[in-house]
Amino acid sequence: MQSESSKDITDYYKHLSLFWTDIIHLMSSKPQALTSVGPMRAFATNSKKISMELIEINEDLMEFNKHLTEYYKQLSDAWGVAQKKVNLKAPEIPQGIEQIDALKEIWIDIFDNDFTELFDSEKFGNNYGKLVSKELELTKHWNNITNVILQSANLPSKEEIDEVYKEIHSLKKRVGKLELELKKKEMKKNSK
Amino acid sequence: MTPHEVVQEMDKTRLLHYKPLTDKQHKTPLLISYALINRFHILDIHPDKSWVRNLLQQGFDVYMLDWGTPTSMDKYLDFDDYVNGYLDSYVEYIKNESSSEKISLQGYCTGATIATAYTTLHPDSVKNYIATAPVIDGWRDTTVISNLAKHMDVDKMVEVIGNMPPEFMYYCFSVLKPFEQGIEKYVNFFKNIENKKFVDNFLRVEKWLGDTPPIPGALFRQWIKDIYQDNLLIQNKMYLEGEHIDLKKIDMPVFTQVAVGDHLVSPECSMPLHYAIDSKDKTLRMYPTGHVGMIASSLSQKKVLPELGEWLAERS
Repeated sequence: MQSESSKDITDYYKHLSLFWTDIIHLMSSKPQALTSVGPMRAFATNSKKISMELIEINEDLMEFNKHLTEYYKQLSDAWGVAQKKVNLKAPEIPQGIEQIDALKEIWIDIFDNDFTELFDSEKFGNNYGKLVSKELELTKHWNNITNVILQSANLPSKEEIDEVYKEIHSLKKRVGKLELELKKKEMKKNSK
Repeated sequence: MTPHEVVQEMDKTRLLHYKPLTDKQHKTPLLISYALINRFHILDIHPDKSWVRNLLQQGFDVYMLDWGTPTSMDKYLDFDDYVNGYLDSYVEYIKNESSSEKISLQGYCTGATIATAYTTLHPDSVKNYIATAPVIDGWRDTTVISNLAKHMDVDKMVEVIGNMPPEFMYYCFSVLKPFEQGIEKYVNFFKNIENKKFVDNFLRVEKWLGDTPPIPGALFRQWIKDIYQDNLLIQNKMYLEGEHIDLKKIDMPVFTQVAVGDHLVSPECSMPLHYAIDSKDKTLRMYPTGHVGMIASSLSQKKVLPELGEWLAERS
């Protein structure tokens, strides 16, 4: 859980950054502002969105770190248990030239089994799923920031490009199906 | 690589036709639908371990489907595009070129899931169906991959990054027998560093392992949801653009190949296909090897391929 003091600090910076973005936003809307025309004005107008994204990144980063810590804890715990098993088994290996090879085989065997058990477990799957999900949230914020910058430069956003891709895909699909139908009909006709 | 020519191309996919290695060939051509993960050339990785070359030497007319490398632009390609678009077009091309009414179809791994869906929707085009380590029953799959897939927020992944990135696949590979694959394999490599044949083979496979294309987002989403999370295929509840994927419609001769030591697609995930189909002429073979061992090893040359060839020759 987030401690009271870290929450206070987060809130403080959240309000501080929002205050300054509001000021920039207000300044940019005045005709006498430096950023009255062109992309800089658009950027200043949108800068509040960037601040919001940065604040949310900070919050998601804390969640991400929580799952990342749990991820490494699970790996470290599995390592500890597996190593204990190897230590118990080691004295049973007969002394000789082949001792090192035999120990290596046992070590790999036990570690592979224990780690596969971990990777196959509900707790690992659950935490790993959340870890990836949080990582994707961070990427999403980054995409959103990039979109603001792209829009400021009068360039199409990711969503707008995606729309074009979707349209192209749909057209290609329809044309492809029509072509295939025609080909099949032609083949049927030729075979008669 | 075994001599071949690219006879058809659609978007980023290609259809390869291998040059015959025998004077006489079986009448029915064979199309191989390779997996969506890594590249098709594992089936022709080395002359001594080539799946394709072996089949050519047994007198089969072999075609191979290369799914290519999708880019961000292809993120909307879905299951239907692969089954009723690319695969169907290539099958029609082969039928036309070979003047055959039907072809033999082999699917490997995820390529077998696509081929299975195709076979249910177009049974009139498939004379024989060979399913090699097919991904069929996601809930029965006992591999680590299935556990990761079940907990994946696939909607968010597709929404944020579009296609499934190869790096994610590499992570999935890395959790499969991590110590044997991450340590033992390389210790063994250095032990055999003087052995030219070993090093050559090792590098070919390593290069292949490190070369996987992205998977189109829409296809990946449907894959994870329908196969691993909701397990619709084996329950005969899967649909492609309104078309029902009914495994009972598979009534032609079917040969299912399963590897006992498969840690990518467990036998429990593949075998249900054999029991779910309506075919009267069906064979299930299990081999004491792994996922790649079944298609590119000495065992595949000595046992897997001769058995497949014998079965297919009788029906081609």
